[in-house]
Amino acid sequence: MQTFDEIYRRYSPQIYRVCLGYTNDPEHAKDLLQDTFIAVWQGLPSFRQQSQVSTWIFRIATNRCLRAMEVAKRMPSEELPFNLAEPRVDSKEEKLRFLYQCIAELNETDRIIISLELEGLAQAEIASVVGLSSGNIRVKIHRIKEKLTQKFKAHGQFR
Amino acid sequence: MDNLDDFKAIWHAADTKTLPSSEEMLKLISNFRGQKLRNKWLVIISSLILCVLFIAVLCIFSFRLWTTYIGGSLMALASLWLAINNFRSIKRFRQLDDSNNLEFIAFLEQTRKNQVYYYTRTMVYVLAGYSAGYMFYIYELIYKYPTWFTVVYSTFGIYVAVMWFVVRPRAFRRDAARLNAIQQRHEKLLNQFE
Repeated sequence: MQTFDEIYRRYSPQIYRVCLGYTNDPEHAKDLLQDTFIAVWQGLPSFRQQSQVSTWIFRIATNRCLRAMEVAKRMPSEELPFNLAEPRVDSKEEKLRFLYQCIAELNETDRIIISLELEGLAQAEIASVVGLSSGNIRVKIHRIKEKLTQKFKAHGQFR
Repeated sequence: MDNLDDFKAIWHAADTKTLPSSEEMLKLISNFRGQKLRNKWLVIISSLILCVLFIAVLCIFSFRLWTTYIGGSLMALASLWLAINNFRSIKRFRQLDDSNNLEFIAFLEQTRKNQVYYYTRTMVYVLAGYSAGYMFYIYELIYKYPTWFTVVYSTFGIYVAVMWFVVRPRAFRRDAARLNAIQQRHEKLLNQFE
């Protein structure tokens, strides 16, 4: 059984990136990270290891993301100005910002799925976190990847 | 290199160095733990204290009229009902953390339905229990004094009427809009799983 310290060190960057992918807001993502680890800290003594620790933590984090939208004052925008002419994104930070913008335009479950995929989770584990079949996840990832690729190509990436 | 690998490379460039350390996180947790459920626990503890108090008064003191016993029992029951309902709600949240997203949204929708039930049923029972209980309970104290009787009952009647016909509908209207928005959001989320 891993300690809270080990779990936090191992998963906090991943959870933060997933929350950031969902909210597109670093401060909000930090709040969700904290909320997630409060739940982990509270639930760790009674965690029965029916699922992997990683699945359990990603479930908590993504559920917090889904619920946070009900109470968040800062709602992530789903209608970002993608049709405006934007300068070409070349630096690492700009590419990262653009990727988050593209993800923010997706619907909520797609945001979660692609974030978990980019984090390197196996598709079976993503299916277990989200509650869809592995086949369904595979199709969704393919579609999301296509959408992101189109956005990036439209902005001069992946030449 | 395919596109997904490119996205992964960009994705992992996010700066995570500014995240709190595990020691800092534990400090934050000790400050915030239980804060969200604090109000519910406050309601549970106060209701239970009230319930015990009402029962203790009825057991310790001897009253001449049965109306006092009925009044005290009704208020004790209303307090107990309030405590049980809030405790059930906390228990549901505690059992939740190993659910997938789909189960979680179903849980949120059930929570919304429970909130509607809380406003339309539980609060009605609790308010009715306390109001009727209080009216019975104070009868013995004032029935011999017509002036006090009139003043106390009419003041209480006005208070209950304002709570029942003004405050409660207003609060319900405000929360109904919020709950409707939540319902629409749940439907939208559930559609994404189809």
